[in-house]
Amino acid sequence: MTLTEKAAEHVPRSARRRRTDPPWWFVLPAIALFAYVVLLPSGRGVYFAFTDWDGLSPDWSFVGLDNFSAMLDDPDALQAIRHTLLIAVAITVIQNGVGLLLALGVNTMIKSRNVLRVFLFAPAVVTPIVTAYLWRNLLGPDGAVNSLLAVVGLGSWQQDWLGDPQLALWSVVAVIVWQFAGYSMVIFLAGLQSIPKEIYEAAAMDGAGPVRRFWWIVRPLLAPAITINLMLSIIGGIKLFDQVYALTGGGPGHATDTISTLIYKDAFTLGEFGYSIALAVVLTIIVAIVSSGQYLVLARNERAAS
Amino acid sequence: MRLFRTSALAAALTVALVVGACSSGTNAGSDSDSKTLTLASVDQGSIEEVVKAFEAANPGVKVRFTTSGADQYQQQIRTQLASGTAPDVMTVWPGNGNPGATYVLAKPGYLLDLSDQPWAAKLPTGLKSVAQYQGKTYNAVFGLNGIGAVYNEQALTQSGLKAPGTWTELLTFCRAAAAKGTPAFALGIQDNWVNQLALYALAATVVFGADKDFDTKLQSGATSFAKSPWTTAMAKYQEMDKTGCFQKNPLGTSYEASQDLAATGKTLGIIQGNWVVALLKGKNPSGTFTLKALPATDTPAEFMMPAAAGAGYGVNAKTKNKDLALKFVNFVMSPEGMKVFNTKQGSLPSLSDSGAAVDPAFTELTTYLKDNRTVPFMDQLWPNAKVQQTMLSGLQEIFSGQSTSDKVLAAMDADYKAGA
Repeated sequence: MTLTEKAAEHVPRSARRRRTDPPWWFVLPAIALFAYVVLLPSGRGVYFAFTDWDGLSPDWSFVGLDNFSAMLDDPDALQAIRHTLLIAVAITVIQNGVGLLLALGVNTMIKSRNVLRVFLFAPAVVTPIVTAYLWRNLLGPDGAVNSLLAVVGLGSWQQDWLGDPQLALWSVVAVIVWQFAGYSMVIFLAGLQSIPKEIYEAAAMDGAGPVRRFWWIVRPLLAPAITINLMLSIIGGIKLFDQVYALTGGGPGHATDTISTLIYKDAFTLGEFGYSIALAVVLTIIVAIVSSGQYLVLARNERAAS
Repeated sequence: MRLFRTSALAAALTVALVVGACSSGTNAGSDSDSKTLTLASVDQGSIEEVVKAFEAANPGVKVRFTTSGADQYQQQIRTQLASGTAPDVMTVWPGNGNPGATYVLAKPGYLLDLSDQPWAAKLPTGLKSVAQYQGKTYNAVFGLNGIGAVYNEQALTQSGLKAPGTWTELLTFCRAAAAKGTPAFALGIQDNWVNQLALYALAATVVFGADKDFDTKLQSGATSFAKSPWTTAMAKYQEMDKTGCFQKNPLGTSYEASQDLAATGKTLGIIQGNWVVALLKGKNPSGTFTLKALPATDTPAEFMMPAAAGAGYGVNAKTKNKDLALKFVNFVMSPEGMKVFNTKQGSLPSLSDSGAAVDPAFTELTTYLKDNRTVPFMDQLWPNAKVQQTMLSGLQEIFSGQSTSDKVLAAMDADYKAGA
């Protein structure tokens, strides 16, 4: 509990209410707008998950939960759900691990730290679809990555990075980490810079080494930055679409299909709108469960740390 | 209380504004006067010239057009048609089987009946089956395309090899080419639509050369993919891969990259449609490329080539600009329009009186067409888009060892039986 909250406790309840809570109907314009632009269309969209609409013809019929039960028998859908969760977890762990290390690195006193910060953040500024197309060329069989490996004498490490179904998913993860590790870094860096130097100095005087300083000072004080980074990367990972679509199109076969790419293909290539909206509903539910669960856990840790 | 009323008014105003903005938004797509035609096309690189010629022939008329890739276009046109924002004239594929195909769009009534236009009756019989739906013409198909082996003549000469004339020669050719370090054919199946081309080239001879009525039998249920020579075609495609007919790592190679390989002689050729010749010449202007039938058996007399109507143009049934739209479609089908289109696209004209000179690269295809030794692209008469998609991702899975041809053909049968 912060100081302001403690101070607020002494103010009589009614007085505080008058002063801090604006009238509830202030929120009406915003809610009306939000309902009209987001809630209403989404609600109407969800309705189609229970129909067999093909996205084109003016009539459709209500099919109840058929689309959802079909999903359980659809190996492509189950595989896509598995890929989605795998990518989300992998990105969350690797991207934030790398981002944190980079942040710790450029938060030191090394000379070129400002230049390094710019370079490391630069990929995050580029549109994901552009980086994905670049990497699609770099990762081709005769692309720059394989050529580089050959030049440095690691020819045996050459791979068909995007064409090998065992590797393709990890290549996609690597490209995303390459692009967004700098983004995580910036958020961590902001957190690190808000930690007062005196605390480090006091700890150092008490004889704490770098590892203990990290664990007992940086980690707890960085908790808000960790929360926001984990939230952003896990949600981004679950709804991942553009990079996968540009890099592999979900292929080879269905080896890198995520829920989002499958939604897109089922809706727009095959015209199974009802089914793909059902998939989208499942995606929404997964995002809601994972992010609220994660938020609760991290918020508790944050409170415990502060 | 006064404050409450003000904010309620503000809320009401906001809603009204948003509603207003949205309703005016939906009209934006169709606000055109009778002198402006809207057009959506996939014929990038040729439609520009046709539009220029059309505008020159009709002073004061302006064509607003957009071009996009086939995948993107098919997805976007569906949304536009469903929401009533589609252009006056649009690319429509012949037959059935893809989301932008004639049957698919004509069935829900999105296309204008073009049967009484002067060219409709003149279309060759083979084309009528794919330009019509239930006896009415909906698609102005102006060009024909064929699939075969496109050879880079300079690379071929340099390798000292000769284009193969039989299946056995083909395998020998592949081995010899691979031994010289320049594989026979470039294959870019990272883009999964490319995967159908070699299979269709083989199936034309293996499936349809032996049985011209195969499609009828497939429709009636008398045969299936899994119980027909399609298994042979699949097996031959895989045999070509195992023999080293293609460069390494085809699954990591894009369509674009495969063109580079064939254009620069890193492979001796590429199995593609005639449209690729213009692209190869773009990458290597001094190159000579010729399209030949891909040998699938040891009896050249039974060879067939997949050749079919390319994408044509249909008119939006809800167009407010019907006269101008018809004028444009009729211009496309006139000798002048057809000549510009087919010369630019490197395709063959669909009406014999167009007067367009045919590129010498396609001499063999022209002969096959004349001798009636062609079959439509197989997917054009399949009942839904899923059969083709299952085949395409299935072929990627076969190439990466995740599936077998028996499984893929069985899945195609299941999708085929699911019907429209």
